[in-house]
Amino acid sequence: MIRSHPAEASLLACAAGTLPAPHAAVVAVHLAQCPQCRETLRLGEEIGGHLLESGPSAALSPRALDDVMARLDRGPPSPRPAPTLAGLATGRWRRIGPGIELMNLAPRDAGGTRLDLIRVAPGIALPRHGHGGAESTCVMQGAFADETGEYRAGDFAEGDAPLIHAPRALSGEACICIVATTGRLRPHGLLARIVAPLAGL
Amino acid sequence: MHALGSVEAAPCGSTFPAGAFGRAMSEPPRDEHGALICAIAERGDRAAFAALFAHFAPRLKAHLIRLGSRADAAEELAQETLLTVWRKAALYDPARAGAAAWIFAIARNLRIDAARHARLPLPEPDPADTPEAPPGADALVAAAERARRVRAALDSLPREQAEVVRLAFFDDRPHAQIEQALGIPLGTVKSRLRLAMARLRTLVGDGA
Repeated sequence: MIRSHPAEASLLACAAGTLPAPHAAVVAVHLAQCPQCRETLRLGEEIGGHLLESGPSAALSPRALDDVMARLDRGPPSPRPAPTLAGLATGRWRRIGPGIELMNLAPRDAGGTRLDLIRVAPGIALPRHGHGGAESTCVMQGAFADETGEYRAGDFAEGDAPLIHAPRALSGEACICIVATTGRLRPHGLLARIVAPLAGL
Repeated sequence: MHALGSVEAAPCGSTFPAGAFGRAMSEPPRDEHGALICAIAERGDRAAFAALFAHFAPRLKAHLIRLGSRADAAEELAQETLLTVWRKAALYDPARAGAAAWIFAIARNLRIDAARHARLPLPEPDPADTPEAPPGADALVAAAERARRVRAALDSLPREQAEVVRLAFFDDRPHAQIEQALGIPLGTVKSRLRLAMARLRTLVGDGA
């Protein structure tokens, strides 16, 4: 049962294609499990389709159609990774602290956003930290809790600059989340100040 | 209702004579562009493809330029979008999306991929790749009706709500920065969007 969803604004930005790609990837993981948000995305895409239909046209080069017709029988594009743990966790886990591992999925981009998987052992808390920008998290396995509530598989957590938290993995299995982070984390406390630079976060 | 073609013709559930744009006045409007995609899916109809290209490629190019692409890159991406429409035509399900919405989403994902994000998952309205069941020819009528309701709903939004929706689509910045563009706090942007979407959802009904 999914209880936490992306903000309507994030879903619409996702449909529009204006949400930074790493954040959109986290939303994609949530969408794969949430029919309700898929409906919202679909509505957003209908709006996009209408804006496209009713928008202006730009003249194409005279050969544009012929060029494309000549390429019609080429093979399909390479598939994208499935928004599942098996589809995404193909890299290497890197230990960044006691009971905490990180797998980078996309390095920090031009907009200052990176995408990671984070795996936290049951009962372990991340060092208390603030954020330099938006943070999107979707739980892929296990569960965690922070000052804003409890999050289980499929739940989506949105944080931004004012959020300062120390998320803790709940008991049971390790908690694995996909996390898009814009800007640098702001470590609070000694442990966080040691861990954050090591993790590159 | 239009005449059903062969019942096993999936996923659009009906065959469409090449170039058959006309219909009797008594029939409900159907999504003609959706019908073209179905013609590509059913028999690799190149004339249908050319018609889709003529309609959508110039609009896609203008849209992409508006989002900040250079003209040559926008044209290349518009071409790639239509190529992808050709390749994925069999996955198009008019019961789920109007043709314009489907093509819009393909262009959006290609644009994100072009920024070297091809290894990331992207938002898909449906996790399954193939339509669950052939939806039947009615789906093209439903798609046209849904698109009409979305148009009408957008037209009926209060101006300040329509503005945040428009900015969400055309301002290629995180929504957090819309607040600067409009000079209103982020909380207000989000609440206006929430109101706009709630209103759209109600007006469009279950069809979207």
